[in-house]
Amino acid sequence: MSGIQISNLQFSYASAGGFRMHIPRLDIAAGECVAIVGPSGSGKTTLLNLMAGTFVPRSGEINVAGQRLDNMSDAARRRFRIDRVGQVFQAFELLDYLTVSENILLPRLIDSESRKNSGSQQRIQSLLSSVGLQDKADKRPDELSHGERQRVAVCRAMLNRPALLLADEPTGNLDQANKQKVVELLISQARTHESMLLMVTHDHSMLDAFERVIDFAELVEK
Amino acid sequence: MRRLTLLLLLILLGACKEQVTGGSRPDDHAAKPQVLTSNYPLYYFTSEIAGDVVDVQMPEIDGDPAMWVPGAADIPQLQAADLIVINGAGYESWLAYTSLDNDRLLDTTKDIQDLLLPIENVTLHQHGPEGEHSHKGTAFTTWLDPRIAVEQARAIARGLSVLVPAQAEAFKSRLVLLEQRLVELDRSFEQVFSNLKDQPLVFSHPVYQYLQKRYGLNARSVHWEPDTEPGVKEWVDFQNLLRAHPAKLMIWEGQPSPVIIERLQDQGIQSVVFNPVANQDAAGDYFVLMSANAGRILGSKK
Amino acid sequence: MMTGAFFLGWRYLRFHRFKSLVLLASVTLMMFLPTATRLLVADSATALTARAQATPLLLGERGGELELVLNALYFHAEQPPVLPYSALGDIEASGLASGIPLYTRFRSRGAPIVGTSLDYFAFRNLQLAGGRMMGLLGEAVVGANVASEQAVGPGDHLVSSPETVFDLAGVYPLKMQVVGVLARSGSPDDDAVFVDVRTAWVIQGLGHGHDDLARGDSSASVLSRNEGTITANASLKQFNEITAENIRDFHFHGGTSGFPLSAVIVVPPDDKSATLLRGRYQNHESGYQVLVPGNVLDDLLETVFTIQNYVILGLMMLSLATIAVVTLVFLLSQQLRRGEFMTLKRMGASRSFVATLIASEIGFVLLGSVALSALMSWVTRHYATEFLLSLVTL
Repeated sequence: MSGIQISNLQFSYASAGGFRMHIPRLDIAAGECVAIVGPSGSGKTTLLNLMAGTFVPRSGEINVAGQRLDNMSDAARRRFRIDRVGQVFQAFELLDYLTVSENILLPRLIDSESRKNSGSQQRIQSLLSSVGLQDKADKRPDELSHGERQRVAVCRAMLNRPALLLADEPTGNLDQANKQKVVELLISQARTHESMLLMVTHDHSMLDAFERVIDFAELVEK
Repeated sequence: MRRLTLLLLLILLGACKEQVTGGSRPDDHAAKPQVLTSNYPLYYFTSEIAGDVVDVQMPEIDGDPAMWVPGAADIPQLQAADLIVINGAGYESWLAYTSLDNDRLLDTTKDIQDLLLPIENVTLHQHGPEGEHSHKGTAFTTWLDPRIAVEQARAIARGLSVLVPAQAEAFKSRLVLLEQRLVELDRSFEQVFSNLKDQPLVFSHPVYQYLQKRYGLNARSVHWEPDTEPGVKEWVDFQNLLRAHPAKLMIWEGQPSPVIIERLQDQGIQSVVFNPVANQDAAGDYFVLMSANAGRILGSKK
Repeated sequence: MMTGAFFLGWRYLRFHRFKSLVLLASVTLMMFLPTATRLLVADSATALTARAQATPLLLGERGGELELVLNALYFHAEQPPVLPYSALGDIEASGLASGIPLYTRFRSRGAPIVGTSLDYFAFRNLQLAGGRMMGLLGEAVVGANVASEQAVGPGDHLVSSPETVFDLAGVYPLKMQVVGVLARSGSPDDDAVFVDVRTAWVIQGLGHGHDDLARGDSSASVLSRNEGTITANASLKQFNEITAENIRDFHFHGGTSGFPLSAVIVVPPDDKSATLLRGRYQNHESGYQVLVPGNVLDDLLETVFTIQNYVILGLMMLSLATIAVVTLVFLLSQQLRRGEFMTLKRMGASRSFVATLIASEIGFVLLGSVALSALMSWVTRHYATEFLLSLVTL
């Protein structure tokens, strides 16, 4: 099975008296582009982390792209994140001491595959061309605009052709024009690579572009 | 083909050169010790005693070796010498301003200081009225006394024996021969000068002190050069000298000019040359020259 | 993965150049200073000791032992009390040793002028690199450093420096001809100008040259003539250079036996002679002292080593403080980078990857410091010892 299947998911943080979350059911089809909206602090980011295998549920089942995450080891979940998940963050999270190319290569740098793999360089060039940044390969993040930085982040997320693309408020630090561009970019990259896209956003003006919008408040059990 | 020929030729030339240079390789046996002497008598004595065991040299000196001023060009020879035979007694004034290895200096009169004679009437100079600074003088033509010459020869033999210990016996035997000849020379001078005893003499230059002492000569010295006619004052001083010291014979270092001879003859004074033999002379070796001196003194009585 | 961590670590350091260099410099200094201190002291001690060990005995006027040793061996500017030249003759006459005179009072543009004899060069095993050995009064042979620093060689001249600006009487500049240059020996001899001891006396004014007063053309300089004595007046000009033309006119008034020496290097043929000689001069009527330079230096070096230990202790304290500060900087840096590490973990990096990343940064700085510190130690070894020894001659 591909896609995402969550059933009877229970999660809470380790600290006592903390956040609790219960999702009875969630299904997302393979290749679906979904926007998730909801109030701040409701647990949207936590859900993304659970789907990425960063967090482990207390109970329940999570299947993502045919892999069951809730009973995986730490190492297996890290492997899963590197191979199958691409992530885009609100604050871009590019490393200021690496060039654009090196930032995009990051998922392979933290993996055993050599950064000098010629396959990697071609893939990076291709990704940069697809986002119109082919001339910025040797620039550093502080030499780019916010919009350009987020596009680089998208390339980084897409380097390993992930099955799942997670974007947590990716337009939060962008102006209106760039917001549009980034959302369009995310969707087009997801479609091109046949990836699922889950984007958490507060910006309702972007929702029309998505096939499905999930209200997080309705997703969780009170 | 031409290149090959050229290559072969070069190789051949190289091989020939090897042979040639092989043949002219430097001499394998050790070089002879170098011995330098400061004047002719010492050169003669050293050569006689050393034979061909050492290489005896004397610097190229024009004129009186006592007046020699070594220059920069002479220093390498001086410093390279294994032994430098010096007269001592102040003869080598150049020792005062040359840097030499003292261990290589052989002072032939060092052990006979009691036989040395002081010079009188030396012109001193001083700076300022604070005090007089004197230059003590010693007569240095020591070899003119054959007995002192023997002592100097013995010192040379000792020095050479330290330099080449293996030849000590050979040096000793040659020294004995030299001593015999010097003793003979002493006897002949004694004979020659015995007839001049008590007879007032004048020396042209104060260089005969040892001769005077050895043979009891009654002599006074002036400061005349053989080739320079004395001035009026000198003749006046000479007359005054003759009044107290009525000499009939004047002994010269070198042949005086005919003018001087004539003028002296007018005063009843005969001139005769006694060559101190400080430097080499084409006329003969040390003993030939000394014998000639004796002959001239003998002939002067006539 | 490890390569990736090293790559990221290296990139981080390169990007934050200033911080990295400051850290590198701090750690390097922390490593280098105690090492350099030990090296300098050890090497200097070895060099000082070697020269002292190579000098069997020193004869000097009774006074400061260290002063005598430093002046005689290293040509230190501070002069010990002088002793007369006759002291050299006494040593020679004893039959127990040979002597080498030293008179080091004067300088030529900062370089010590060492008045001595030819025996000195054989004693110190000094070879000529060019020209010839000094042979005439007024000639000089210079050490390798003097030749290069003052750009002099055979045929050039050096002038002795007056002791004071208003030095009107006696010590006047003598123009000396350089006839030889010594090969580098790595000792204070490289920084010295060697002359015959009599040339040094000429510099002092104990010997001089002037026109022959007995000659007619010098009459203007004659104050009076009295029988065999000619007194010169103050207008008599003295030669300030010894040439082939005037060398015969140079002379010393009075006997040289009373002329000054700084010290005499005493070379006995064996230990027995050395002991006998030392015994003789124990309570010698002359008041001179015979000492073993090695013993005098050992006492000095003992003090130096004690001081060195305190210095190193101080440096160790400083190192501890440096480590504390460097650690603080690292910790603060890691705190500031928490977000970066979180991102890496979220992307799939393991804890060990992040740990390796941090460790590689520390490792690069440490490696760089070790390499730089080793290079600086090598340089210190090669050049600083000579510099330190040159300080001894000041």
